[in-house]
Amino acid sequence: MIIQALQKVFAKPLFVLLALIASLAAFAFAVWLPNLRLLFLIWTDASVSLGDKLALPISLLASIATNFTVLSASYTIAIAILVGVNTALIVHLIQVRGVFGGGAVIGASGIFTGAIGLGCAACGSLILTSLIGTAGGISILALLPLRGGEFGILGVVLLGYSTYLLAKQITKPLICEPTDIKV
Amino acid sequence: MTPEKLTQLSTPFSVLAAGILIAGAVLWNNGGPNTQVAAGMPNQPQGAPQPSGDLEAMSPITDDDHIRGNPNAPVKIVEYSDTECPFCKAFHATLQKAAQEYGNDVAWVYRHFPLDQLHSKARKEAVALECATDQGGPSSPLGTSNDAFWRYADRWFELTPSNDKTDIATVLPQIAKEIGLDGSAFATCLKSGKFDAHIEDNVQNAQATGGNGTPWSIVVTQSGKKYPLSGAQPYASVKQLIDLALQEK
Repeated sequence: MIIQALQKVFAKPLFVLLALIASLAAFAFAVWLPNLRLLFLIWTDASVSLGDKLALPISLLASIATNFTVLSASYTIAIAILVGVNTALIVHLIQVRGVFGGGAVIGASGIFTGAIGLGCAACGSLILTSLIGTAGGISILALLPLRGGEFGILGVVLLGYSTYLLAKQITKPLICEPTDIKV
Repeated sequence: MTPEKLTQLSTPFSVLAAGILIAGAVLWNNGGPNTQVAAGMPNQPQGAPQPSGDLEAMSPITDDDHIRGNPNAPVKIVEYSDTECPFCKAFHATLQKAAQEYGNDVAWVYRHFPLDQLHSKARKEAVALECATDQGGPSSPLGTSNDAFWRYADRWFELTPSNDKTDIATVLPQIAKEIGLDGSAFATCLKSGKFDAHIEDNVQNAQATGGNGTPWSIVVTQSGKKYPLSGAQPYASVKQLIDLALQEK
């Protein structure tokens, strides 16, 4: 069913492009997250050349190899891919059916939960530390066996489940379903 | 509003709420006031007002700092590091490469930022690094106190596996012996507490400048402009940032 839905949606090159853009955006956000302040300083500095403004963020993408553990890199990449897939499926659903249901809610939950786990193991969960303070965030991470990786894994699971729900909706036949018929 | 309409709207609202929460958290973390809990937490100033993450709060670089390279270099990289952090270990090698490549153009300044809640041994190790410094000096066979510090730090990161897996009771004196320190003086220094305040100053300064993990670095240009760099970034990124900083006059 999932394969069927994916084949249906990604038969159109536009949805492939949409998924790629959404995935890249999610990946870039995750990898740039620890250094958004630096990027803001560089991008708003008129004395920095356009070449440098582009070169630095591109080189920072390689930090997936230096600033992430194997686990955090894996779920970061998985979340990015699933965000792209979910985005394409949701847009397709809206296009075809006009509404979308529980799958998107689960997907949003997955993105949010995965985002809590984002931030390298060294720099801590940036979202978590923002929400409950650095000491609180680090304290919670220290208690967890995977130091916050649990959120990333949960994000992947939720996004995977969202993909399943969305695929189920996409492969449902387009029929009118009667509710209460009052005679 | 009908129940069906509510159900239809709840989904996009959920997505929007999640996005706003994430965006808000990111903006708060990068530009808003520091939300750290104050009293009672280790690694926190007791009852002190919490400053915002301000790069200009960075303590000036002085002769008391551990500086590798030319102290008058046009670009200085101030690194706040935790001896048990695996990413600091990797970044130590990156900065060694940068120091080698850029020679007199770049100075590397090491400051302590042990994350007590994650690495319970790191603070003691920070003390050990300071105790190594303590034994260096003009007439010391180790060279200057600065030389002793860097020899100890390099050997530490070379030898140990990170994440509190080191038996510090064995390894701290072992490295001291390897680099030629007086073992007895070193052991006395470790227990003395004389560097506790200095290390805590470094920690508070890291937090004041916006550090919330390690390695946390600030690249300072000749004109005093500061660029924050969080995490063990690849050498290519560090190199680009240094080149950018060198252009700044």
